[in-house]
Amino acid sequence: MLVRDIMSSPAMAIPAATTLADAYRFMREKGIRHLPVIEGPDLVGVITDRDLRLATSSLVPSPFAPGSPVSTVMSRPPLTADAADPVEDAARTMREKKIGCLPVVEDGRLIGIITGLDLLDALMRMTGADKPSGRLEVRLPDHPGELARLTATLSERGLNVHSILTYPEGPDSVRTVLRIGSIEIRALAGDLRRQRFEVVWPPEKPCPR
Amino acid sequence: MPSVIYHRAYSRYSFGATHPFNPVRVEMMLDLLDALGHPARTVAPEPATREDLLRVHAEYYVRRVEALGAGEEVPDCGDYGLGTPDTPAFRGMDEATRWLVGGTLHGARLICEEGEKRVLQLGGGLHHARRNYASGFCVYNDLAIAIDYLTRHGLWVAYLDIDVHHGDGVQQILYEDKRVMTISLHESGQFLFPGTGSVHELGAELGRGLKLNLPLEPFTEGESYLEVFDQVVPAALRQFRPGILVVQAGADAHFDDPLADLMLTTHDYEAIFRRILEWADLFTAGRVLFTLGGGYALGAAPRVWTILHLLIHDLPVPGRLPEAWRRKWTATLEGTVPAALHDPTPSRFDIPNRQEIAHRNRQTGERLLEGARPYWF
Ligand SMILES: [Zn+2]
Repeated sequence: MLVRDIMSSPAMAIPAATTLADAYRFMREKGIRHLPVIEGPDLVGVITDRDLRLATSSLVPSPFAPGSPVSTVMSRPPLTADAADPVEDAARTMREKKIGCLPVVEDGRLIGIITGLDLLDALMRMTGADKPSGRLEVRLPDHPGELARLTATLSERGLNVHSILTYPEGPDSVRTVLRIGSIEIRALAGDLRRQRFEVVWPPEKPCPR
Repeated sequence: MPSVIYHRAYSRYSFGATHPFNPVRVEMMLDLLDALGHPARTVAPEPATREDLLRVHAEYYVRRVEALGAGEEVPDCGDYGLGTPDTPAFRGMDEATRWLVGGTLHGARLICEEGEKRVLQLGGGLHHARRNYASGFCVYNDLAIAIDYLTRHGLWVAYLDIDVHHGDGVQQILYEDKRVMTISLHESGQFLFPGTGSVHELGAELGRGLKLNLPLEPFTEGESYLEVFDQVVPAALRQFRPGILVVQAGADAHFDDPLADLMLTTHDYEAIFRRILEWADLFTAGRVLFTLGGGYALGAAPRVWTILHLLIHDLPVPGRLPEAWRRKWTATLEGTVPAALHDPTPSRFDIPNRQEIAHRNRQTGERLLEGARPYWF
């Protein structure tokens, strides 16, 4: 999944000479919290609603006047993402720098923006949580070919796998969590158990006693 | 006198002999009512028209269902959830589904136009179908289409979904509608299809605070289920003051169901149905429209719905299961023939963390009410 797949585009932006008051009004109107700042065609900075509120707060020793230009308080130079970057790269940058957005550029041109919310949407898409699906969890021996054996069984049944997450569980096994586009996961689990897969979810149902 | 809606054509909504959504379930129920000496007196609906469908569904979607039903190739049908292992294409698919939709619509009309109070539609409940997407055995959303009819005729609707799966299609179609409250109790989407139905899904725009979800822990038993049912549903109905209850009475929360992990017994279902009828009397002048829904244990679902049918008619629920019925359906039931109409009492299960499950469900109920209440006042 690439940055271009999850970004909001086109990005809204404001000229560097815009006043803090106008920038704040613009964000309120559009319901956004992050704005790229441009000078002519060039991206020169980023300003957030938090920057504006801190800069003008009466709690700071010498607050900026509402009429000051955004160029006085914006972050610069702006950190950016390339439209062709994998989303995990963008996520790492935002996490490391503790920032809430990245303007997206392509050939030096501003073409979009991604925010923390876009990354959460991406997480949901990656885990298949945005499509009707059921959960299957299998413990696999940590050998080559085991995951392939599992997915081959699924594709034989014509099942659509929306996502696969695999993580190491112990020295010899990995846990694989799949979201599958089917309501009939229990029947599938039964078949897999007969093929000697260790199915963790769904479990056998308790029996009446 | 309550109305029961049914047509033989309902059995054409069938995805093949080995598919769980099997019309034999209703056949077994009707046969059981006969054997008990309370044969269902049914009224026949008309199939829904194309225009009825287009109130809710996209034309390009309906067109694809029609083409598949006519045996044509639709190369992109998978993009619309059609022709999948869950919802395979079959001959006459469009018409067969329109019969079920027509039945639910007919129920809505009986209540709106003829002052009927209690209606049981012996089919439908296709709550997963979306505007342009088939899912979980559901092609057209009969519930949303009937609810649309009811609201256009001035009745505000409380939709109650007790199927074990989240009523995602109905919720999604009506997400912004202020005239419809939806309440779905289901096994948590963290574990069960379709994955949605968290307490945070509360509706949007004018419908905010009116879409309620109670995701329950796997292996939830009747006692805990009824506790949160009582905690949430009457409070929501009292607040919303609907003109009618529309109930998707899926039977797949039964402990014997092969698709899911809740542990309700027929006794629990009886308690649930009695409460719903009582709340209809209390909040909607008795107006309630039931559809069937999921329920894939052939030994359980027909008994659950038979109990529903008896209760709707204020008939006593007998203990016995007629021998003739048991004999007739032994082969179909593959050896797991129940001994009585009700499950044996007390049904107890080996569930080690019973207390924790009940505790978590209680907290879910509280979180739901905390989240929704701010929008109610
Ligand atoms: Zn269901």
